[in-house]
Amino acid sequence: MEILDKLINIALVAATLRTTAPILLVALGGSFTTKAGIFNIGLEGQMLAGAFFAVLGSIWTGSALAGVACGVAAALAFALAFAVLVVTFRANEVVVGLALNILAGGMTISLMKAIFGTRGSIVGHGIVGLPKVQIPGAQALLGSWAPLISGFTPIVYVAFIAVPLLVLFYNRTRLGLYIRVVGEKPEAAEALGISITRVRYTASLLCGLLAGLAGAHLSLGYITMFTENMSSGRGFMAVAILIFSNGDPLKVLAGCLLFGFADAFSLRLQTFGFPSYLVLTVPYVVALAALFALSYRARPKIIRETLASMQKLLSTDRTSAPADKNPQ
Amino acid sequence: MSERLRAVSGQIIALGVALLMGAIIILMVGESPVHVFMTLMRGAFGDQEKIAGTLLQTTPILICGVAACIGLRGGMFNVGIEGQLFLGGFAAAWVGFTFSLPTGIHTLAALALAVAAGAAWVAIPAYFRARYNTNEVVSTILSNYIAVLLTSYFTIFLFKRPGGWSETPPILATAYLPEIFSFSRLNWGLFIGLLLAVGVALVFRYTSWGYGVTMVGSAPKFAEYGGVNVKRQGFVVLLLSGAVGGLAGGVETLGVHHRFMEGFAPGFGFDGLIAALLANGSPVATIVTALFFGALRSGSLLLEVDTTASREIITVIQALIILSVSAQVLVRRRGDSQAGERRWKF
Repeated sequence: MEILDKLINIALVAATLRTTAPILLVALGGSFTTKAGIFNIGLEGQMLAGAFFAVLGSIWTGSALAGVACGVAAALAFALAFAVLVVTFRANEVVVGLALNILAGGMTISLMKAIFGTRGSIVGHGIVGLPKVQIPGAQALLGSWAPLISGFTPIVYVAFIAVPLLVLFYNRTRLGLYIRVVGEKPEAAEALGISITRVRYTASLLCGLLAGLAGAHLSLGYITMFTENMSSGRGFMAVAILIFSNGDPLKVLAGCLLFGFADAFSLRLQTFGFPSYLVLTVPYVVALAALFALSYRARPKIIRETLASMQKLLSTDRTSAPADKNPQ
Repeated sequence: MSERLRAVSGQIIALGVALLMGAIIILMVGESPVHVFMTLMRGAFGDQEKIAGTLLQTTPILICGVAACIGLRGGMFNVGIEGQLFLGGFAAAWVGFTFSLPTGIHTLAALALAVAAGAAWVAIPAYFRARYNTNEVVSTILSNYIAVLLTSYFTIFLFKRPGGWSETPPILATAYLPEIFSFSRLNWGLFIGLLLAVGVALVFRYTSWGYGVTMVGSAPKFAEYGGVNVKRQGFVVLLLSGAVGGLAGGVETLGVHHRFMEGFAPGFGFDGLIAALLANGSPVATIVTALFFGALRSGSLLLEVDTTASREIITVIQALIILSVSAQVLVRRRGDSQAGERRWKF
């Protein structure tokens, strides 16, 4: 019981919120592309580029905010490249996404070597981290519960506030509606005169914006350093969440909290002397298990949809068959 | 212009664009592109040892590339080859240092377990892909991370060589893959890779099973009406792809390192996938693209010595090649529908 108390306490919940923030941001970013009907496996690379350039910007300007801006700009550049190739050139989205991830990995390491002359990681060099926001009155109001709402970096607040904003965005704004239409029924969007290209570009850039913030949080948030491949699969976990949440912000939040908890809990286990290699697999195992379990649960839906689409196919075949015989 | 000629000239133009962009990036990191390319060439083909080194790097890329080809033909993205490679490599090492068997049989047993390990590692994602349509790209990528951590755990906590770094005990000499030349670690693994590439190409070309796989990959509805059990075949295709990925790891262990160590073959799985994509899923063309990437990798070793650029610059060039090839501006017709289904052909 005492061990359980040590394992699960306020600090763990606060740590969960901290570790949830980057994956939540990148998954919310991916929700734009998911809703617009693009499978975006390139989140990982956008996040990594964001993390690296946030550190660069922070060193060059001496300001954390400018660093975040640099990180976001880099992620936007990757998102733009993704959109140009996938939307305009209609290249395969999996191929482009994977290639951009590899590009981000190679580029950050090459630039690190070129600028700092080191391999592995950038520490020091005057990196300015993000400040922690102390909410006034939190200590007086909540006492020992204060760490739950106070003392996070601004990006953590942005991540959690973004969830209700995105719900409103999809349900109450024109652009949100357009994105959903383009994703669900591109033919309908085309018929309505909505530019699919423009909407998908917008969705991809919005995605880059949030992925860049997520990256900046990784390198300027609680640890102020950049290490090779420091996004370590969080972008891919976000894609797993997006697959089973279908990009709905509230479900995304639920999934991300699960991973944030797995992440924080595994870090906690490590301090108890469990082999670190096994403990580090926990978030990935949780992601995989959730992906498999939820696709197993979705099977009646898959069967229903298959039946429906086959019926549609058969009925259109019957109606269009005679028409084909008539010469135009 | 014939379709084939257009496709090939498109590939070449794309390659040119990629090299140009690569040159710009090399300028950005403060090196001369000409110097870097010349160093890469010298590092890859400078003398007979360098050429053998290039072939040595080509071997795992080729085998991983064939693994990716099998998946791509059947419409599956096996992005988990990296993980299968690690598990296959560990499995082969385990057989190599645990048992003592006669020469030859020992090698075969180790390779067999490597193949089994690769297939077993992909079995769960493959099952869920085939049965419930769970996206195999994400599940195989995530399992890579687990595979790397798991093999590290085995190596460091369960089978660590006493007094050594993070590596297992060396395998017995009876399990070695024989070396071809005295001056290089180049071994029979290269022949395994070449045979495999040609064999898989023949299977796809001349057997009805191979035809069925290609059909499922390019036109699943058609294949289903033609009587192919699409789900079952998807499962088998991923399993075979994983098995070949495991083999790549086994060959790397038995032929090159003679032990398993942490981070023993970084990036070969991804290089193989890229080589297969560049070859448009053809195993024989993968021989050429794998040789190209092997040369880049081998050349990058000298790059690290002779210039200030890091060897990861070649990953950048590889990614740029794939990106510009994927756009294929020449091959695509302008009239193609925007809403149309995207094929993996890129």
